Amino acid sequence: MAELLARDAIRLDERARSRDEAIRRCGAVLVEVGAVAPAYVDAMLAREQSVSTYIGEGVAIPHGTLSSKESVQRDALAVLRFPDGVDWDGFDVRVCVAIAAAGDGHVDILAQLASVLMDPAQAQRLRESTSADDVITILEGKPS
Amino acid sequence: MPTRTVLVGSASGLHARPAALFVAEAAKQPVLVTIRTSDKKPVPARSMLGVLSLGAKKGTEVTLEADGDDAQAAVDILADLLERDLDAVDA
Repeated sequence: MAELLARDAIRLDERARSRDEAIRRCGAVLVEVGAVAPAYVDAMLAREQSVSTYIGEGVAIPHGTLSSKESVQRDALAVLRFPDGVDWDGFDVRVCVAIAAAGDGHVDILAQLASVLMDPAQAQRLRESTSADDVITILEGKPS
Repeated sequence: MPTRTVLVGSASGLHARPAALFVAEAAKQPVLVTIRTSDKKPVPARSMLGVLSLGAKKGTEVTLEADGDDAQAAVDILADLLERDLDAVDA
């Protein structure tokens, strides 16, 4: 999973006043790093309308719909940390792991992420991480 | 103990919308149902993180198991749901 995450796609000090603003920030980072075309951001918002991507432990995983695959230029992840939290349909989200995936590669990515988050200590480390190296180490599944 | 093994029917696998629908249905059941793949340990079907950690794709074989009164009914409801294409109404 960590090989899909470029260092410049990790943003540790983000702020958003709403869920949708947070998703737009996530999408903007994926566009910046050349992973997706701008149209993908609208698909991320549409996906969230259809079903919440909140997965637990203060983490959401915004990504596009099945029909938006053509907007994906390369599979990639972005990690955005919101230290003040974002109200995500009533959940307090601290970390967004935004996913760009053309095939079903995102299922494996998600499985790995979910495995990491099932350990509450690792989930807390991710929420409180203050360096890109930390984030990469946690997502690689390495214990502290 | 009631057990059923089915193939995941959703086009995108057991994640996002299909996973959300599956977990919500599992939470409604009066008994605790577990789900596992052939190479992973059973996780509670009502745990989103657990279900996602299986990484089940379309066609992946998954096994449901439950114990107690109504266990068979719960396993059947969830197995039937898994076999359907829950992405069919995808946005």
